[in-house]
Amino acid sequence: MTYRTASIIAYIAFFAVVLALPLVLNSFWTNRVAIYLVYSICAIGISMSWGYAGILSLGQGLFFGMGAYMLAMSLTLAVPENNPVPQLMLLNMEPNAVRDLCCVTTGSFLWIPFRSVAVGMIAGIVVPCILAAAIGYVMFKRRTTGVYVSIITLAFAVIGQLLIINNQPLTGGFNGLADLALLEIGGFEFDPYGPSAYYAVALTLIAVILLARYMLTGRIGQVLKAIREDEARARYLGYDVENYKLFIFCVSAGVAGLAGMLFTVTSEFATPSLMATSLSISMVIWAATGGRASLLGACIGALIVNFVGSLASESATFQPVWPIILGLLFVVVVLFMPNGIAGIFKAFIDRPGKAERLGGAKLSGKTERPDKADLLVKSELSAREA
Amino acid sequence: MNAVHRPSQAGAVSTAPILRTQNLTVRFDEFPAVRDVDLSIADGELRVIIGANGAGKSTLLDLLCGKTLPSEGEIWLRDRNITGIGEAAIARSGVGRKFQTPTVFKDMTVLENLQVASNRRVRVFENLFERVKGRPSDKEVAVAERTGLLGSMKRKASELSHGQLQWLELAMVLSQEPKIILLDEPAAGMTAAETDKTAELLLDLAGGHTVLVIEHDMAFVRRICRTITVMHQGAVLAEGTAEEIERNPAVIEAYLGSATLSHA
Ligand SMILES: Nc1ncnc2c1ncn2[C@@H]1O[C@H](COP(=O)(O)OP(=O)(O)O)[C@@H](O)[C@H]1O
Ligand SMILES: [Mg+2]
Repeated sequence: MTYRTASIIAYIAFFAVVLALPLVLNSFWTNRVAIYLVYSICAIGISMSWGYAGILSLGQGLFFGMGAYMLAMSLTLAVPENNPVPQLMLLNMEPNAVRDLCCVTTGSFLWIPFRSVAVGMIAGIVVPCILAAAIGYVMFKRRTTGVYVSIITLAFAVIGQLLIINNQPLTGGFNGLADLALLEIGGFEFDPYGPSAYYAVALTLIAVILLARYMLTGRIGQVLKAIREDEARARYLGYDVENYKLFIFCVSAGVAGLAGMLFTVTSEFATPSLMATSLSISMVIWAATGGRASLLGACIGALIVNFVGSLASESATFQPVWPIILGLLFVVVVLFMPNGIAGIFKAFIDRPGKAERLGGAKLSGKTERPDKADLLVKSELSAREA
Repeated sequence: MNAVHRPSQAGAVSTAPILRTQNLTVRFDEFPAVRDVDLSIADGELRVIIGANGAGKSTLLDLLCGKTLPSEGEIWLRDRNITGIGEAAIARSGVGRKFQTPTVFKDMTVLENLQVASNRRVRVFENLFERVKGRPSDKEVAVAERTGLLGSMKRKASELSHGQLQWLELAMVLSQEPKIILLDEPAAGMTAAETDKTAELLLDLAGGHTVLVIEHDMAFVRRICRTITVMHQGAVLAEGTAEEIERNPAVIEAYLGSATLSHA
């Protein structure tokens, strides 16, 4: 079996398991796994930018959090008690302010478009993309690379989190947005503990994987790989490296924003902790564990790490040391298995000794062209030597 | 006949310069690595630049391909001023560069390297829905055949020998279909047989392509060359045929008499 066949089988098996899980899970676990699948989408975003383009963003939580907040704002306004003005603003307004979204607190007008849930959903992807475009433009046009990209993105996430915390009258501050309405589209309600929200997440995940795979196995992926290896070389071949980086960085931010929205749907809150450095770094650990250059690997990495993490959090012994374990896991993965679980899978499929057992069938099944060409070149060389 | 190999028209070389530099100068902390270079390369010409180590040859190519910004002077490709427009734009306008130490994408196969190089639709949105073919196009086969890489199409670049890496980078530059090819010591580190093949390849390119090649080895230079430009301490010292250069007293004093090249 070639690696390609094996990975297609792995993808199909993964999709099948994901789609079948709600049949065997209770409502508590349906919700839990849905949230893990949201994290898987985050890990795919990391894999796209880090695994395929070498851009290690440590501020992915900023985009994730923005996505979550955009939808949470709409779902806040969808609660009847939050009209015409959300409770959180009433608590923080000046004594004689007008009770209208336009001017109840400074900046409250920014909420007006979010009366429409559709706007919230679009903003959940578009706003992170625009934010990433702005940050990315500044970074990449100045040819910032490597660890500096990580530091800058991390700094922006910290700034974003502080802005949310410090603008309590507008954002709900430290407490974030809670007591949200359930997401409802065309009369259909997504119950976070039922199969509806689960399938919204699962189907989005599958769509994201398929689209990302389509894109990354195409020309864009090839150019990004070249850029990751030697961006100067790519420039001398005529590629505007900055634009490619900007593109994948924005797509990755959009994916994170999408995940953030689904987080709001499944968890029913958005808080500044979504933009915390620890979550951004966790996302990188998930992707690294599963295999950053593999979309499916990153996905599975997120599932496994979170599942084990939740088991650990229920144990009195492991709960306090879990962050340490997570940190060590990252070090071990980076040092000893740079391609993570996906790398182990590939090594297993390509393991030596397999070719003999197949009786050379693998070789004869390969394309004929290079073989013929081999002969051609060899005869040409020997002709020259003669 | 293949797509890359255009009929050679030796003797019928047009004289309009394809590449021209004016007062090209670059200083690194006041040290002039390249000084007032006025270069004029005709369409279809095979030009060799020689000079001792540190004469500024590689830096000159760096200026031409945009890797280094000139302190003064201009670079013209036909009637376009390409000074300071950025490496990618310079490459797109038709300058292809091969580096002194081969720079290829080591983690990719030979075919993938050629595909990345030969893709002339380089913008993000042009490539968005573009698929990658598993088999080489006729053009890629032709380039690989020319550089002796046809048998290695599916091999990772990291598995190639040093000589093959040099050819792969040359193949990538050819795939770009540049108006002018800049080669920095293409035979460096090659075995005698490989050097022979490289010389043949360059002669084969001449006429169909405009080539600017830096070379160290005088025997190699005599073999491939028509016009030689001698660089010394960043400036052009002399220009002419091999015989003229070898008779030029200034060149003999500055360069040919020195130990660096006496083995040639
Ligand atoms: N980026 C740089 N910074 C400082 N000095 C440089 C730089 N690049 C080249 N030089 C200097 O310029 C001179 C010419 O170098 P180079 O062009 O590599 O010579 P050549 O290729 O002819 O051997 C050398 O003295 C080298 O040290
Ligand atoms: Mg040099």
